[in-house]
Amino acid sequence: MRVLFLLLCLSALAGCAVEPVEAWERDYLARPEMAWDPDALGSAYRNNVHFSKEASNGGASVGGGGCGCN
Amino acid sequence: MSLNVKNKRALTALTSAALAIPGMSASVQAASVLTETVVQYKASAYREADLDSSKLSGGSLERYEIDTQQVRAQLPLGENTDASIEFMYETMSGASPWFILPGQDGPVQVMSGATIHEERKDLQAKINHLLNDKTVISFIGGVSDEKDYFAVNAGLEALYEIPDTQLTLTAGIGYSDDELEPTDGSILPDRIVRATRDSTTAFVGLSQILSKTTVVQASLSYSLQRGFLSDPYKKVWIDDQANTINDSRPDDRNQFVAQLRLRHFLPELKAAVHLDYRYFEDDWEVASSTMEAAWYQNLPGGWVFTPSLRYYSQTQAFFYAPYFFSARGDGFGSADYRLSPYGAISVKLRLEKRWQSLDLHAEWESYEASADYSLDSVDLENPGLVEFDILSVGLNWRL
Repeated sequence: MRVLFLLLCLSALAGCAVEPVEAWERDYLARPEMAWDPDALGSAYRNNVHFSKEASNGGASVGGGGCGCN
Repeated sequence: MSLNVKNKRALTALTSAALAIPGMSASVQAASVLTETVVQYKASAYREADLDSSKLSGGSLERYEIDTQQVRAQLPLGENTDASIEFMYETMSGASPWFILPGQDGPVQVMSGATIHEERKDLQAKINHLLNDKTVISFIGGVSDEKDYFAVNAGLEALYEIPDTQLTLTAGIGYSDDELEPTDGSILPDRIVRATRDSTTAFVGLSQILSKTTVVQASLSYSLQRGFLSDPYKKVWIDDQANTINDSRPDDRNQFVAQLRLRHFLPELKAAVHLDYRYFEDDWEVASSTMEAAWYQNLPGGWVFTPSLRYYSQTQAFFYAPYFFSARGDGFGSADYRLSPYGAISVKLRLEKRWQSLDLHAEWESYEASADYSLDSVDLENPGLVEFDILSVGLNWRL
């Protein structure tokens, strides 16, 4: 299953058509609402809530420390 | 103003814009604000819905309430370095699920008798350093403290913009060392007095700018947890013994996460679309899928309205059951709703007002977990599944 998903991820990236974008053409990409996590505090808070209430956690960061959350 | 100064300012603005793109991850967004200090504050009220009385066998109907305050400051330290420091303070009260009994119409929950009062303080710091115009290295450290739990964490992240491509590579490794001292551990004979656990996490991610309006990211993450991973406050009903035993889980857990994220801007609508998918699996046989979609709609007058939807579904751990007719041969067993099979839907609405140096926002989220929302069929729903609402208000202040 994990190999299948990995292949899916890589093929999704590889299959995307890439249009050349110069540095001065990145104003839309630079907008605050285009960030991976536009609200850093909100992301940290929600990650903590979901970590406490679900069996899954993790993503593209090393995360923080654990907690004894019930 | 001389042409030289004008050009320099234009170049600075362009560089900032280029560095702020999401394809270069949060680390480089921080690098883009090296010239200004940002202070953020957020207050959140988390309220779990009372347990349905038909699912309760004993203890309190009332569940957890958590009030949280967060403060974050991000400031430049010279030309190539910045730092952020984040403090979270939480107060918690309420009752939590203890064990589950077989009932006439399905499993019924026994809640902890006494109302728990607890507080948690969490401090996290991060330093980002630009090694050159393509590479950022970040150092992370933190500490979390509760009456019965103490954790110290450290991490290292790196980001590299691959030359002559629109690809950005990110990677990191982190470690958390945790210590538990459960309440009443020295009084109750069947509760541990002290235990430890640790967690090591590594990830790698690749971002690709697809166009002037679209960027995608794929990442893989692996985490190993070792030590006392059971919940010292939970028990499991063993029917043929007509008694409970302690929650007992394996002392290691290997977790694997794959994530895909997309950000797309619609210039004609002045709106941004976020689509995220995460697949998780571990050697406790838990597998889950998480899908999130958000629409950031810019409105006249500096307002931004953001509705978002999150769907989550997980399978159960191999040693989970609401209760057991006889004890498992391997000695493991847990009735924790968090290891049960279920699905969850949450809806979030956010309204933000932006001024030149200040943003204010308010958001509300409603989350409901149910066996009915699971991707797979579930024979017995855990009666302790949660429903909660979160109301938050916050500000961003650019000094």
